[in-house]
Parts: sequence; structure tokens; C-alpha cells
Amino acid sequence: MEGLVARGVSKTYRGQRGTVRALDNVDMTIAKGRLFGFLGRNGAGKTTFIKISSALLMPTSGTVELFGLDVVRRAGEIREQIAIVPQEAKPFYHLTPREHVQEYLRVRGVSPEAAKNRADEVLTAMGLQAYQSMPAMILSGGLQQRTLVAMVLATEAPFLFLDEPTLGMDPFARRQVWEVIRQAARKGSTVLLTTHYLDEAEQLAEELAVIEGGHVLYQGSAEALKSKVRREVRIQFSGGFTAQELGRYGDVYPDRAGLTLLTTRNVVEELTQRALERRVPVNVGPVTLEEAFLTLVGRAIEDEDPEAAT
Amino acid sequence: MTWKSQAVAIFRICYFNGWLGLRRSPIAFIALFLTPLSFLFFLYVIAPHSVLPFGVVGGIMFSALFTGNAMMNDCAYLRLERQIQQIFITSPLRPMSWILGMALSELVFTIPGLVLFFAVLFLVVPVGILTILALVGVVLLTWLMATSLGFLLSTFFRQLREIWPIGMVVFTSLSVIPPIFYPIAEIPATFRWAAFLAPSTFASQLAVRAAGLKVPIIGSAPFLSSIAFEVIGLVVLTLAFTIASMRLARWREP
Repeated sequence: MEGLVARGVSKTYRGQRGTVRALDNVDMTIAKGRLFGFLGRNGAGKTTFIKISSALLMPTSGTVELFGLDVVRRAGEIREQIAIVPQEAKPFYHLTPREHVQEYLRVRGVSPEAAKNRADEVLTAMGLQAYQSMPAMILSGGLQQRTLVAMVLATEAPFLFLDEPTLGMDPFARRQVWEVIRQAARKGSTVLLTTHYLDEAEQLAEELAVIEGGHVLYQGSAEALKSKVRREVRIQFSGGFTAQELGRYGDVYPDRAGLTLLTTRNVVEELTQRALERRVPVNVGPVTLEEAFLTLVGRAIEDEDPEAAT
Repeated sequence: MTWKSQAVAIFRICYFNGWLGLRRSPIAFIALFLTPLSFLFFLYVIAPHSVLPFGVVGGIMFSALFTGNAMMNDCAYLRLERQIQQIFITSPLRPMSWILGMALSELVFTIPGLVLFFAVLFLVVPVGILTILALVGVVLLTWLMATSLGFLLSTFFRQLREIWPIGMVVFTSLSVIPPIFYPIAEIPATFRWAAFLAPSTFASQLAVRAAGLKVPIIGSAPFLSSIAFEVIGLVVLTLAFTIASMRLARWREP
């Protein structure tokens, strides 16, 4: 049995300023027990898909099945199987991380002893033990986010929806959270993780999908996606060169710092030499998921689309 | 989840949202009983002292009704601003358990104020055990009616800034304009029936009767002046709001 099967899912938001098609005929399949990454820029449709799949939002058309259960018609049964970290959720301001985890488990029907043990386990694994008795209102944004992720991962629910779970966390905390997510997958949970941190997707996801403008552009492994980039090397220039000048060496894309060139190994020496002469900082490395995304979507994952819905 | 687990869940929600919230932020309950206490103070200063018992009963009913406003605010805030309601409803918890847990937690915030008003009632009218039991019953039905309405309204908000004006309009219409703090006899006899257009009037008149205060003739039909009319009205409205909150509340955005 598949973990999730989406067929022809579309969602149109109607507002005073017109309509926005957030999802357009999305088909997707996630195998049971798979740690699945869902990549896309802000407003690409990731959160809308997660809300529909977790019975929080009605699709305009199409169907989603979780473990063979239709999310519209059998929402009650679906809710028995899932747990979700919504994007930009915040904890209760007066509760401590331990209370969040333990009380949430009790509300889900976990016995007091098991709730305590699981809370001990997850708070330690997520580096929250030092803060476990502090009210959330005095914790940093990153610690508050970790508290929410701990609540949800402690459930060991068969299907976990994690919508940007590491948003606002420092790199060390992110790695701790990654490990707990991996553990959840090892224990058998199916995980749907949305992120716009491509390193996170590369580290965690066994399979991923890329969504842009409500359309799924790719579904497969990270390696297969990277292999779609015909170039082997990425050189980032912080100014000093024009796109026209670099264009004859390969594919050029604007990025936050300046320009990124995807090219072949044999021109690296020449270009770095020229950058040194012009005193321009360059960064050279192998092609990553970031470049694969750039090639597939035509824009960097950090680029905002002000017209898009979430 | 079994019924027992659902019951445990209801009390856990009441514990962490109500009891822990009250213990860690006691200003919230002071804020809740300050408004009815102010009304009572004004009545004491400007009205004949014969009206004072109506003000005390009014304070009790106002506190019970304002649990609905608190419920509306809390649920909208937890859904829209903190988005943590989504974590709770995407779980084996039944929607009714979430509503009841939240409603009980609002009652926890109101209990200190209710105790204060009951103590004042002891001072102004002779109160027996039956009076207390009857008043507690009316308070519980009113709380259930108000919190169901509050929850139902909370699910329709799209942004936080809508809550304050709508909350003021709805709950002021329910708790200040109808005869909650003043005797219904103050309304001209011809128009007394109109007071029952506000659902809270059924509860307030029952509370007035329970406290042993005088209820005048409401209209030409004797049934309108009977306790049965008030009981049936309160029970029907409570059931209607509770069922509506379960059925119409939007657990899933359209």
C-alpha cells in the first residue's frame, strides 16, 4: 500500500482581488515508510498541498488518499494516523517544552508513563533538555520551533507532515532535528517534509518532488535530479563579470550575491585566474541540488513570488 | 481513541490551557471579573439598593456569558496567530473534545470571579443550597451556550483584527443590553417580550428566579411568564448552539 497518492489535485483560492490557482492538477505518490522531500519556492503550493493532504483544506478538484483512505471522505480515520507541524506555528506562550510534548501526547491518548518517557527521549534528542522547564514565551524563535517539532515527532504517528520544520533554526539545531526525523522514518513513519533549504532535502529525503507555480515539475531521487544538470562545476561570482561575458562558458543564473555559472572543469582555472586579476571573490564547487533546482525551475529557491499563494 | 481517552484529553486541555494559564497569568481572571464588578459598583452608587441583588445575579450571568467571548478570542488566536490548533485537530482527538476542553479551560478562568459574586450574593439576599444548585445549573447551561457560540464564530474569522469588533458587538448585545444587570420590570410591559430575542435573557431570568428575586408578567400569554418557558428556551438554545458548533464549525477550510 502507498503512503500517499494524489491524483489531479487542484486548488483555487478566490478572494476580493481575484482568483489564485495554488495547485494545478498535481499527481504524486509517496511510498509507505518513505522520507519524502517537497521542494519549492515560497508560494509554489507546498503548504496548500500539505493542508489538503492533512484534511485541513478542501481541494477544488482531485483526490488524495493516505494509506488508501480518501482525505475528504474519511478525515476522521486519517486524523488517527497523522501529525503535522504547520508552517510558522507557534507554541502556547505559557507552557514549557516538556509540557507541550507531554500534554500533546496525553491528548492523543498516550499513557502518562509512555508520554513522560517519549518526552524525555525527544527533548534530549532535540537538545531541548536545558530549556524543558522554561515557558515558551522566553525561548528564542528557534527553540520555540524545536518545541513544536518535538511535540509532533514524539507522536510516532504513521504519517508525519513537516512543513518547513527547521525554519529559523541555527545549523547545529537543524542537524539535531534532522537526526530525529531520520529516526522517525527508521521507526516506520512516512514523512512528507517541505523545505526550501536544499541541503536539508539533500541530506534527508530518499525521494523528492519539485513544485513550481502549482505544478509538480519533478519527482524522483536527488541524485537523478542532479544528473539532469549537464554541467559538473558551479562557480559563483560576487560581481565583476557580466552574464553576457560568462554566457560563453556555460549556463548563467543570477543569485543573491551576483552570478552563478554552471560549467565544465576545464574552464575553472582560466575563470578563477581572471577573477583574481579583477579581485572578485569566487566560490567553486560541484553541482548541488541548488543548481539542479535552478536548472529545473529557472529561478533560485529563495526568489520570492509576490503574486503567489501559499 | 476510546471515550475514556477522549475524556482524559478534554481534562488535559482544560488543565494546560485553563489551570496552567490561570496560575501563570492571574491577571487574566482579574480582567474577566473587573467588568461585571464595575457594573455592580455603578449600580451600588447610582441605583436604589433594591436593584443591587439584580446586579449581583447580573455579575454571575455576565461572567458565564463572557466565557463565550474568551472562547472566541482564544480559539481564533490559537488557529490564526499561533496556528497550534491545527496540531491538535490533526490528531485522534475528536472535534467535540477540543471544543469541550477549550470551553472548560475558559470556565476555569471564570471560576474565581463566580466565587466572588456568589459570596456577594450571600451578603445581599438569603441564599440556600437549592438556590446555589439552581444558579450553578443555569451558569453551566449558559457557559455551554456561550462557549459553543464563541467557538462557532471563531471558525469564521480570517484575520485577528476582525475578532475584537465582532466580539464586542455579539457579547455586548448578549450581556449588557438585555436585562442582565437590571430587572426586566424596567422595560415597559408592552416590549418585555422583545428582551427574549437575546438568548441570554432566558438564562438571566432563570437566575433571577433562582435567587428568589421577583420576575414580573412578561406578556399577555401566561406561558411567557412561566419558568417552563425560560427553561425550555435556555435548553433549546444551548442544544442548538452546541450542535451548530459541532456541525458548522470549519475544521477544514473551504
